[in-house]
Amino acid sequence: MAHKCDLLQGTLDMLVLRVLDRGDLHGWGITQKLEQLSERALQVDEGSLYPALYRMEERGWIKAEWRLTENNRRAKYYALTRAGRKQLETEQQHWARLTAIIAQVMSSA
Amino acid sequence: MNPLRRLLHLFRRRRLEAEMAEEMRFHLEERAADLSADGLPEEEARLAAQRKFGNLGSLQERAREARGWRGLERLAGDVRLAIRRLLRFPGFTILAVVTLGLGVGANTAMFGVLNSLILRPLPYPESEHLERIDRVTPQAPEGRVSPADFLDFRRATGGFGEVAANALGDLSLSEPGEPPDVVPVLRITANYFSVLGVQPQAGRDFRPEEEIAGNHRVLILSHRCWQNRFGGRDDIVGHTIRVDGLPHVIVGVLPPQANDWRYLGWVDLFRPLGLEPEQIGDRQTPLLRMVARRAGHLSREEANSFVTSFGARLAADHPEVNAGSGWRMVSLNRAVAGRDAPVMLGMLVGLSGFVLLIACSNLANLLLARTMARARELALRAALGASRAQLLRPLIAESLVLALAGGACALLIARWMSDWLASRTIDDHGQGVVLPFDWNVLGWALLVSLGTALAFGLAPALFALRLDVNDTLKSGARGAPGGAGHQRFRHVLVVCQFGLATVLLAGAGIFVNGLGELTDRRAGWESDHLISGTVVLPAGVYGGPEKIAAFQRLAVERLESLPGIASASVSAFTPFFNWGEVRKYVLPDRPLPPPGQEAVAVVNAVSPGYFNTVGTALLAGRSFNGHDTLGAPDVVIINQSMAAGLFGRENAIGKRLARVGTGNLDGAEIVGVVADVKSVMPDPSPATFQVYSPITQEPRIQNEILVRTAGVAPALQVDRIREEMAALDPDLPVRQLQTADATIYRANYQLRVLRDMLLSFAGLGLGLATLGVFGVVARTTAQRTSEFAIRLALGACVRDITRLVLGSGVKLALIGSGLGLLGAFGLARLLAMGFPAMELHRPGVLVATLLLLILTALAACWLPARRAGRIDPMAVLRAE
Repeated sequence: MAHKCDLLQGTLDMLVLRVLDRGDLHGWGITQKLEQLSERALQVDEGSLYPALYRMEERGWIKAEWRLTENNRRAKYYALTRAGRKQLETEQQHWARLTAIIAQVMSSA
Repeated sequence: MNPLRRLLHLFRRRRLEAEMAEEMRFHLEERAADLSADGLPEEEARLAAQRKFGNLGSLQERAREARGWRGLERLAGDVRLAIRRLLRFPGFTILAVVTLGLGVGANTAMFGVLNSLILRPLPYPESEHLERIDRVTPQAPEGRVSPADFLDFRRATGGFGEVAANALGDLSLSEPGEPPDVVPVLRITANYFSVLGVQPQAGRDFRPEEEIAGNHRVLILSHRCWQNRFGGRDDIVGHTIRVDGLPHVIVGVLPPQANDWRYLGWVDLFRPLGLEPEQIGDRQTPLLRMVARRAGHLSREEANSFVTSFGARLAADHPEVNAGSGWRMVSLNRAVAGRDAPVMLGMLVGLSGFVLLIACSNLANLLLARTMARARELALRAALGASRAQLLRPLIAESLVLALAGGACALLIARWMSDWLASRTIDDHGQGVVLPFDWNVLGWALLVSLGTALAFGLAPALFALRLDVNDTLKSGARGAPGGAGHQRFRHVLVVCQFGLATVLLAGAGIFVNGLGELTDRRAGWESDHLISGTVVLPAGVYGGPEKIAAFQRLAVERLESLPGIASASVSAFTPFFNWGEVRKYVLPDRPLPPPGQEAVAVVNAVSPGYFNTVGTALLAGRSFNGHDTLGAPDVVIINQSMAAGLFGRENAIGKRLARVGTGNLDGAEIVGVVADVKSVMPDPSPATFQVYSPITQEPRIQNEILVRTAGVAPALQVDRIREEMAALDPDLPVRQLQTADATIYRANYQLRVLRDMLLSFAGLGLGLATLGVFGVVARTTAQRTSEFAIRLALGACVRDITRLVLGSGVKLALIGSGLGLLGAFGLARLLAMGFPAMELHRPGVLVATLLLLILTALAACWLPARRAGRIDPMAVLRAE
């Protein structure tokens, strides 16, 4: 198991958007997916996830819908909206620039 | 997020909350299932999942915050809490709501009157272009114009716009076999309705040729008359009815909105002007009221200067009648309210505002007491780190809830007051004040109740902010937190309350006194056993002076022959109302004064027995007699003031008096001097000179029948008089046949409504102020219990303590009343402006007001004072 990392401040939204870009998911699914994609290196705190989800829903980046899971249970699925997709793009570009700058600073020092 | 969506969420909150809970439960259960699949026992897996999830409540709280509900939710919470807290003290809450309701309600009702009388325009299209044109003379600031002047103006208007005119004139409507009835009628020019912008809803408008006498026997009905008198029949147009004993054809029916309660509301029938040939050249008689629709391209100033310059030209062209008079334009919307209405209504709104302020002072006191009772709680919360906003919010929420409840209560009270007003102001034609509850009124009520409740709720709240946490917490249970500061605030409130109550009480007292003096005034005549009634002789039947004179002679003869009748007479006016006729006189044997400087007198025409019947004393010379007929030499009788004013100490009898503008420079001989009579109306003509002519020499169609009965109660004779008059002419109704006292009582009904309103304001104000001083003194006394106990223990008498408490209350009342007296003087001046005929200089009333207020304050302080005197010093000091 890889060493666990705390999420960098402000990156949760981008990660959630990214995960949802691949398909609609419920809150639990998002947690699992994030852990799975990071090979369990990222621990998502539920205490941050749900407020983030509601905030993004209020901002119109994602929209929620009640559906049945494969186990036939009712769950709230979140899906990316057009605004959300645009937001993801901006955040990705921003992230890429930021990491590049940080990498440059770190390597040149 | 936009506030609307947020608000929407607030309503869907319950559902969203449930969804959130379910979503999180699902998450928990999935993780537990996941963990147990990894091999953990079920129970342990569940606990582990929960541990991982953290505090569910705080998570949900943060989730809610993410939804952006917090602000609104907090507000809703505060309001809910405030309601719960208010319900826990129903006594306080009811008192506060009713206090606010009374204050705001009275104020809203007054604003409603102002709104419907002044702020709402008349219901005619582009009513802002409608103007009334008045002839202004020193005697009549809102005078009518003569037919010749009107016709001149109509010819000269050019680009001014369209001009119409009306003349008053009741008609008798008599269907065969039914008792005759007096119907309010307006005689109008043919273009009258087109100037107003009104179309008959059935039938047609008048035609220009119908303005000429002879063609004028056509009628247009008001909607009300059509409904009430003709049952709304569809076939009414073309129907013939008998008016003034002659057949008239109904040609049209007006729509309901044409008769607004402020304008034309009293009119049942409209008939063309029908000017007789001799009237067309008449410049003397102010017969017509002019209404014009100003052309749209003219500004008011331009139009007004056109009108005034026309008036000036008339004065120059015909100085014998028009010297000293001018023309003026008044907006019809403004004119229908009456000249004094804005001042009077402003005064009423202001005075009801005083009631409101007194009510709110009580409210502030109540809220302050409540805040202070919670001082320890507030201090504790402040000490635990609550912010100012957090401390203030619940207090403001409480004021807000009180404001809304008080506003609702105020609307009920205002509605009730408006209904009362509407029912009290119904005039002889069944038309009362119409007070619609529109958005203006609702908005006013909401605004005033919110404004006052917040303003007066804020004061105690600010005291709460200034609380010294340390002191309050230290002072413990026995202390009076806030100390001198809020005590002084309370005292200021009570002083203000008494000041305002003094203004209200003194104002009402002065007005009641003045009104009583006015309507009880019987100056120069005797009302005892006097009956009066009005008959209007239809010109079609009583054409010519001989016929009128014959009717008058016959009427007096037949009435005097009735048993129980002491004397009867006929006159143009009653002694107790204003005489509508003003004339200018000169003395032919003296040099003529310049035009406009002649003696001005009001004129009455009377039958020989008049002075005897009404009881006006003949001071010199003789009364009229049977020889003063149409062909006989002209004679007049003048009043004492005129004799003194014109002739000083000289004997007036035998002197001659000539009327200006008649061409008769010889004039009439003065044969008698009688006592002055005074009108009971609040707006008499400023002319103090009075002239009487023999009615036989000046017969006219409007006649006042005056009868003095002997012995039995006069009311019993009314029916017999009516029968006798009906025997004389079955088509002729006698209007308002009743005792003179009853007629006078009826005539001043509007003033009585005003009086009752002032009285109710004064009563409310006094009651609320009494409550205020009682509350403050009782509270202070309770706080000073231990001080009193010590005083008693040290040997003070019960009387000393009682005096101390009484003194504290009365001192406040005295200071307030003293300040209020200054305001009362101002109010008296304002009232005197509106009612020049009233005697309103009443120092006695002011003294009585002061005494009443002090007695009330004493009575209010009596209970707390007695309680203070009964303190058991031992018990109190031991309890310390």
